[in-house]
Amino acid sequence: MGLTAVLVILGFGAAAASLFHWQIVRGEEMRTAAMDQSLRSTALPAMRGTIYDATGTKVLAQSASVWTVVLEPAFIAKDEDTRRLISSGLAPILELDEEELYQKTGKQDSYYEVIKRKVETETRDAVNQFLVDNHIDSGIRLIDDYKRYYPYGRVASNILGFTGMDGNGLEGLELYYDDELSGTPGRMVSARNGWNLDMPFEKEQMVPAENGNDLVLTIDETVQSILKKYLAEGIEKYQVKNGAVAIMMDVKTGGVIGLSTSPDYDPNDPFTVLDERMLLEIEALPDDEQDEAYSAALNRQWRNKAVADTYIPGSVFKMCVGSMGLEEGVIEEASQWTCTGGMHFEGMKDDISCWKSGGHGTTTFREGLCNSCNPWFMHVGDLLGAQTFAKYREAFGFTEKTGIDLPGESYSIYHSVDALGPVELACEAFGQNFTITPVQMITACCAVANGGYLVRPHVVDRIVDQEGNIVKTADTTYRRQVISEKTASTITDILRQNAESGTADGGYVAGYRVCGKTGTSEKVDKHNEDPTKHMEYIASYCGFAPAEDPQYALLVFFDEPGGDDVENSAFTGGNKVAGPIFSKIMEEVLPYLGVDAQYTEEEYEQLDLVSPSVTGKTLEEAYDLLESMGLSYSIIGSEEEGTTITAQIPESGANVPKGGKVVLYTEGYSEDSTLVEVPDFADYDLANASYLANINGLQISVKGASDSTVSLQSIDPGTKVKLGTVITLTFADGTITDGHSVELNE
Amino acid sequence: MAAQGRTARGLRRIPQTAPSSGSGRQRRETPENKPRQRRTRQKFQIFSLGQGLDMPLFVFIMVLLAVGLVMLFSASYADSYYRQGDSYYYISRQGLFALAGVVAMLFISTFDYHHFHKLVMPIAAVTLVMLLAVVIFGRLLHMEKIAPSEGVAVRWLNIAGIQFQPSELAKFAIILIFAHMISINAAQMHTFRYGVLPFLGVLGLFGLLIFLEHHMSGTLIILLIGGAMMFVGGTRPRWFILGISVLAAGLIAYLVFGGGYQTGRVIGWLDPFNAPEGVDTYQTRQSLYAIGSGGFLGLGLGQSRQKYLYLPAPQNDFIFAIICEELGMVGALAIMVLFGMLIWRGMYVSLKAKDRFGMLLGLGITFQVGIQAVLNICVVTNTIPNTGISLPFFSSGGTALLMLLGEMGILLNISRSANVEKT
Repeated sequence: MGLTAVLVILGFGAAAASLFHWQIVRGEEMRTAAMDQSLRSTALPAMRGTIYDATGTKVLAQSASVWTVVLEPAFIAKDEDTRRLISSGLAPILELDEEELYQKTGKQDSYYEVIKRKVETETRDAVNQFLVDNHIDSGIRLIDDYKRYYPYGRVASNILGFTGMDGNGLEGLELYYDDELSGTPGRMVSARNGWNLDMPFEKEQMVPAENGNDLVLTIDETVQSILKKYLAEGIEKYQVKNGAVAIMMDVKTGGVIGLSTSPDYDPNDPFTVLDERMLLEIEALPDDEQDEAYSAALNRQWRNKAVADTYIPGSVFKMCVGSMGLEEGVIEEASQWTCTGGMHFEGMKDDISCWKSGGHGTTTFREGLCNSCNPWFMHVGDLLGAQTFAKYREAFGFTEKTGIDLPGESYSIYHSVDALGPVELACEAFGQNFTITPVQMITACCAVANGGYLVRPHVVDRIVDQEGNIVKTADTTYRRQVISEKTASTITDILRQNAESGTADGGYVAGYRVCGKTGTSEKVDKHNEDPTKHMEYIASYCGFAPAEDPQYALLVFFDEPGGDDVENSAFTGGNKVAGPIFSKIMEEVLPYLGVDAQYTEEEYEQLDLVSPSVTGKTLEEAYDLLESMGLSYSIIGSEEEGTTITAQIPESGANVPKGGKVVLYTEGYSEDSTLVEVPDFADYDLANASYLANINGLQISVKGASDSTVSLQSIDPGTKVKLGTVITLTFADGTITDGHSVELNE
Repeated sequence: MAAQGRTARGLRRIPQTAPSSGSGRQRRETPENKPRQRRTRQKFQIFSLGQGLDMPLFVFIMVLLAVGLVMLFSASYADSYYRQGDSYYYISRQGLFALAGVVAMLFISTFDYHHFHKLVMPIAAVTLVMLLAVVIFGRLLHMEKIAPSEGVAVRWLNIAGIQFQPSELAKFAIILIFAHMISINAAQMHTFRYGVLPFLGVLGLFGLLIFLEHHMSGTLIILLIGGAMMFVGGTRPRWFILGISVLAAGLIAYLVFGGGYQTGRVIGWLDPFNAPEGVDTYQTRQSLYAIGSGGFLGLGLGQSRQKYLYLPAPQNDFIFAIICEELGMVGALAIMVLFGMLIWRGMYVSLKAKDRFGMLLGLGITFQVGIQAVLNICVVTNTIPNTGISLPFFSSGGTALLMLLGEMGILLNISRSANVEKT
């Protein structure tokens, strides 16, 4: 018995020792290993926050549920029939190659093979139906995922950016606010048995996903669309080769109301190049270079030209230099200076010239700014000196990033104080020879407009969590005061005059006292690289409104307008190219933003009337109505008394110029039978344009500075239109009034 | 209480004697004096209530059986749900057999074990025929319906719809034959001719047949039971030293000449998580996952995860792993203590048996339970290499349980007449 007891105790003792080893010593390890094989942890994607425009109701970016179809080959029966059934059944539903799918079902040691991502609800339902119909209950899984939708497509692409396959932000706000938007993914841990089936009575442990926060932007979709529309119009009209930018900002808060750039893309399909010019360039390349060019084009269209790229501000910068001079007291509004058409600098072969050969003569500072006189500003620069100039340049924020909440903000490139010799200083003083970002320029413009305070530009107004609580609001505090309110108001008044009757009259908007400054920057660097080609320009217009209480600033610029034959193009100057676009945008946006028009008497005279509805009325009734409005008429068809009018041009509700005409059609005559061709009004002055319209049976509505020449017409030449149609002509000065015509020899 | 009840019905009650303790081999002759001599029973009755059951033994058996059934249900329901489509598949069968087994046990406990003297030859003959049948039908004729194979082994026999392992019967047969032979040859056990040769012959015959089934664990257990009985029967230790040496040499030769596979198995046993190519340690690994998951206090009854189609056949040889997982180290040790107590009581009762045959029969049965329990638990805990041994009272298997309870009946019957204080 003793021996047996010893043996039993030995046996059980050894077993107990083993138990101790496996349960206590290596227990944790075993437990973990057991858990690992039985627990399937599935990540629950968090829904990405929504991006709303400033109204808080328009959705600019939103996520919707989609599914990822995953194959678990290890849990698919090995026999060929089952694999064939699955591959032949799923391939058409998922639009996949059947043979490839069949091969994937055979990977017996794989537990996870993604076969299709971002599958929509209908496809998911079809897959589920297929599984139910064929009694397949393992080996195929549908995993929750989200897909990003941008309901407004291209409208705000360069602000919004887009997301990658995994839902991570890759560009724009999606990238900049990725942490806020993405939320925290959850996890679902479910126990599976040895056959990979859920254990029905084991509770699934779920850590729910925390959805991302929503962004409410300062961007207003309506404004954004307006910017986009007119930018596209300008690009087409002026044959712009290198993109364009329009930024509109609230001058007091720094909130960006709209920011449109070109080239752009559709964030729903960011990997397609949309810009036709770029596509043509790629096509022209040899085959082996096309792929590379295509990805370069993609990168270009994803860039936010207003933030990530720099440009030469040109004469627009004069509003800042003028402010510096006034603030420092080196000049006054009435100070005088004589422009002889150029300035000589030691060591330079040629003079740095004014855009106006022969010069502007002796003018006041006010006149100098309105003339955009280069020597005047070289003189201001000289009076300021490099130290003071650099101090203000820094104060205006040109030497630092603005801190706008968009990714990839670029640094500006400028001469340091020590490198600011007389020539460099002279050039920078009229806006040449350094580059800044467009957003830096408009921020500085806002400082001029709002009484001298430098704001922080921003795109996101507030971040809101899923419960609707505001997590964060935009910082609208001033960074600093750059110039005094007095200086600011002086410059504002000069700029108002400039937009009314100066070199910036292209930006004039009837009813609004617009302040503006043009810029025609020469791309000197590019020209120096290849002097055989003609100088390319950047045509810009920067201003704000209304002058009495500035609220919104707008910068518009077109990079390399004038098509391929720049030398002979009329469309290179800032006033001619960017001015009318600025004007059109302001005219449409300001009323929308609640800035009411206040017309002067003269402006009121020029205002269009709204064509009354006379269709269906008798001729007599129409005569009375039209006469009471001061409109004339002509009749096509029967002129018998009591005849009913069947159609009218302009149609009811359309614009008709004061003292204009309404063409009335009676029974038997259709307005389609009297089509006329629209003539080309380009470069006509008002009188000639009126005559041209008249002889063609058309009417014109005048926009912009009517003492200059036509730069834009609302209907393209050659278009067939109905008799009596009103064509809106935008007048702006056509010459380059603010560049300088001699290249700098550095 | 029960004993007193029997006394009331006029049954004889053994006077109080101090239960002997310590080694019984020498002592077993001594208690055979006074009370036994006073009892004068001239001939055996077919059924005898004897002197009442040994209650501790009975209680241990019933407790083990009850715990075994509970754990079998817990360990089996998931697997049987998925594989058999019925969670109660194993427990309902096992439960019925347990019921029948308890009835049989109580019945056999009233069947005077001395009658087994006369049943030695028939049982031996039946066993041999069945073992031969397995070898012939399974190994030579490959008749799967009669003798289904599992891998290389053929252990089962299908007779009239009842499936059972003749090797289970062989274990009892060896116990019975050896108890019979030793009790007859008690005086000459020290000789080679009477104490070794006939036993070797019987053991060799049975062992060979089971070996031919490729039923290694069965062969091992038969040899161990036989050897143990010879040892207590009085065979000289030198023969065991010789026997163990021969077996050890044989084992080493088997490992060396058995090729890389056997070496691989040993390596797989030493480190089941880095087994060499071709050596499947899946079951061992899953068993260790289960054991490790249990920790000190276990996951709780019914809470095993490993039984969900991870651990193969959790209701069978590896049921102890599920016990470890659900009841923890505490529960596992408790089960071992329970087995220990059964073994102790079984031996205690056997050593107090009124004659040598009873003692040997009882010890053989106790050894069988003990050897199986120890080996099974050692296999499950990877203390020794994996070999298919079931855990008595726990592992599913109706006929095996019936056999076991029958043997317990014999043990209880021995206790009736043994010189043990009945409480």
